[in-house]
Amino acid sequence: MFVTALPTIAVMIGANRIVEGVAITHPFGDPAQSPAGELALRRRIVQRALEMLETDVDPNTVWQVGP
Amino acid sequence: MKVVHYLNQFFAGLGGEEAADSPPTRLEGPVGPGRGLGLDVAVTLVCGDNFFGEHEDEALIQLLGWLDEEQPDVLVCGPSFGSGRYGYACGTLGREAARRGTPAVCGMDPENPGVLAAEGAAYVVRTEATVTGMRQALPKMAGLARRLGAAERIGLPEEEGYLPRGLRRNEFAEETGAARAIEMLLRKLAGRVSSEIESKLDRVFPPAPVPDLARAKLALVTEAGCVPQGNPDRLPSTRAGAWFRYPVGGLSGLSGGSYESIHGGFDPTAANADPNRLVPLDVARQLEEEGRIGAIHDFFYTTMGNGTPVATAAKFGREIGEELKEAGIEAVLLSGT
Repeated sequence: MFVTALPTIAVMIGANRIVEGVAITHPFGDPAQSPAGELALRRRIVQRALEMLETDVDPNTVWQVGP
Repeated sequence: MKVVHYLNQFFAGLGGEEAADSPPTRLEGPVGPGRGLGLDVAVTLVCGDNFFGEHEDEALIQLLGWLDEEQPDVLVCGPSFGSGRYGYACGTLGREAARRGTPAVCGMDPENPGVLAAEGAAYVVRTEATVTGMRQALPKMAGLARRLGAAERIGLPEEEGYLPRGLRRNEFAEETGAARAIEMLLRKLAGRVSSEIESKLDRVFPPAPVPDLARAKLALVTEAGCVPQGNPDRLPSTRAGAWFRYPVGGLSGLSGGSYESIHGGFDPTAANADPNRLVPLDVARQLEEEGRIGAIHDFFYTTMGNGTPVATAAKFGREIGEELKEAGIEAVLLSGT
């Protein structure tokens, strides 16, 4: 399970379970948010990744993280 | 120019399936398709397809022994069209001969498993999938064999009619990279996609879902260059040659000041202020405590993906994967930057 802000490249290299992260330099966070807001965001990304690990997917599937 | 030709039992006239267990045989002069090559075939080597497949080592020792005695300028194998067993024998023998210094030419349908067996060491001329392509295949194979036997320089696959061998060769181009890139872009806009480098990427099927995450062990892995503060193992900030594992047992997160990113390709300010932005140990720990994840692995794995060649990265992946498998890890959360 791969979290990256560059899902196009992840697909190109053949990764199968991909969740789109926030930014290249901080895939699991956003320094522009409040500490509580950022923690909640990180939690949503990790939860999304866990859901994907539990799901049957086609090759090179990319999921976004909801608001 | 001295040529040795390899055939299976069928094309050598020994028989069909009933003769497929025939051990290696050495015949004088050209036989069957060898007569159509128009080359000076000194010796024809033959082996039953089943014999080769089931006794590969034995067959190779015998066949390569005869090649050593003959010392031909070139070895021609087949054509084997779409025939899998025959193609495998041709590709394997061609590969081994080429690695011992005798150039080899095979002829096959691109889907033949023998193409992979040749491993780019033997040239494989593209043929039809069935024997109806014999008439077209023989002159193409003979032409390439003649040039290889004369140690001539061989051009690109599409110019010479052989399948790409997965090799790259340095060449001087007339135009600069910029001019060639524009040319390529214009061709693409006109609907003709071309490339100077064939992409050769790993394709694996997605593994089955994790059956029960609440009981599974999950490992955190990153290529973001996240290391303990001070980079004790001196992970390079670009083109890393190694990966490391660091203990996280008992840690509730990766705190700034204790961990940092040594990424040489971007500004790590945000990552260093809170390394959980690269390796989300804090949230993973919460989810472990809540029972969503069975357990977080006691180590996180890290390397630096910046400028790392794909072959090196694939090697790291295999090595880390083996360790994780041995540790009973069922799920991996990998972060990329």
